[in-house]
Amino acid sequence: MELLLWAERRKLRRSKILWIAGFATVMVALIVFAQGQFIFNGSRYIDGAGWFMSAAQSLATFYVLPAVIALLGSYMICREEQEDTLKSLRLIPVDEVKLTLSKMVLALAFSGLIYLLLFAITFLVEAALHFEALSIGLILGNLKTYLLDGIGIFLAISPIIALVARMKKGYWLALVFAEIYSFAGLFASMTEPLKTVYPITAVFKLSGYYEASIVQTLIGIVVLLVCAALALFILKGLNRKAK
Amino acid sequence: MLKLIQVEFLKLRRRKFIWLMLLAALFMPLAAVFYFASVQGTGVEPIEFYKWTAFSYTPWIILPVVLGMLSTMLMYNENQYDMLKQLWIVPVNKMAYFFGKFAVVLVYSVCFMLITAAASILTGVLPGYIAFDSGSVLYLLRKCVEISLLTAFAVLPVLAVAAAQKGYILPVCLTLVYTFLGFILLMVNMYLHPLSSMTAIVMRDIPGVVITQPLNIPGAFLCIGVWSVASVLLAGAALKKRK
Repeated sequence: MELLLWAERRKLRRSKILWIAGFATVMVALIVFAQGQFIFNGSRYIDGAGWFMSAAQSLATFYVLPAVIALLGSYMICREEQEDTLKSLRLIPVDEVKLTLSKMVLALAFSGLIYLLLFAITFLVEAALHFEALSIGLILGNLKTYLLDGIGIFLAISPIIALVARMKKGYWLALVFAEIYSFAGLFASMTEPLKTVYPITAVFKLSGYYEASIVQTLIGIVVLLVCAALALFILKGLNRKAK
Repeated sequence: MLKLIQVEFLKLRRRKFIWLMLLAALFMPLAAVFYFASVQGTGVEPIEFYKWTAFSYTPWIILPVVLGMLSTMLMYNENQYDMLKQLWIVPVNKMAYFFGKFAVVLVYSVCFMLITAAASILTGVLPGYIAFDSGSVLYLLRKCVEISLLTAFAVLPVLAVAAAQKGYILPVCLTLVYTFLGFILLMVNMYLHPLSSMTAIVMRDIPGVVITQPLNIPGAFLCIGVWSVASVLLAGAALKKRK
């Protein structure tokens, strides 16, 4: 497994996808910054300490980042089939389930890193705009939210990535589905019961962006674990399919 | 040119996923059913209902994302199987090739919005949320056609980037960022981005819509026009470089 992770990391060095994912993250931060210029009740949104950090993670999660993470995961999986390297890997032989799991572990790491990059950008902008208004508690609270968002969003979309591993050429499906799935979170957040059980909004309950009781947090954890179990269940059938 | 467009449509017969993407047109009408069932109940004004199903998130997010994916797929398909060389040998005019793809996007956009319109009427009338009224239905159809035509032009930059790239990662990420930017700029400045300009044009005569910025329809058309011309020039230059 360690070797597979090392190999995957080496393979990604040659690919532009990480730069493109980074570019998308920076662009999201810029776009939310532009929204911060909107004047409401005589002051700009961006003038409120913590607004940028808080708004960037929620808007990015509803509109852009889950699809980018799904793209990253599905790209890593589909490229073996597309570039016809899967046959060579099977000849070695490499266990396809372990190979896909290593790709998913890497996608999880990148999901966390993408959210941390967004946090770093928003924190630096907040610090540049109103450093004295930022408390340690606010910064650490947001850091925790971003980190849990990164991990939680990956778990929420892991069944989609696993499904792509089964379908091989289904990366378009992964993209469209991930986008609609995250966007539907906007509507799920309108009612409290749905907000608790819908994976994307459950992540927010867990990360502390939405207020949640202990029961709701536990339900959120269960929902995300069910997503992860579903992904593992889908992956389990991979070797059987390959034969 | 017409033959080229016909060939483009014939190619689509083999792409099942492109047809599956049309299902996204049902998202907002179905979301409206749940929303009106839990919040509003029956006896809703048809225009209020259509604002939810067809005039809000569908043109702001869903349609641009779907058209962006479609544009990427149309361009990537030929690159993936190295078909472009053969097309240039035929010879196919490079700009005619680009406009052939655009014609597919345009027709697809119209079909998508007509499905949204049909689904809006069905999900409104069948459960009894709205009364069937020919005036409002005609208004819905006119607006849907308007949205579809303008959005197809507004996603020309994505089609141009897809034409300039061999891969699909950048155009897809760009689609997400571009759509998100258009949505956010609605609140900041509607006349910088083609998608927000499209919204300004569409919203001009929808009853009950309050636009905080001064309405400037020629400015909105100018914005779409400038971006479209720039996109065509970019695509032309990129395709000419291609061997």
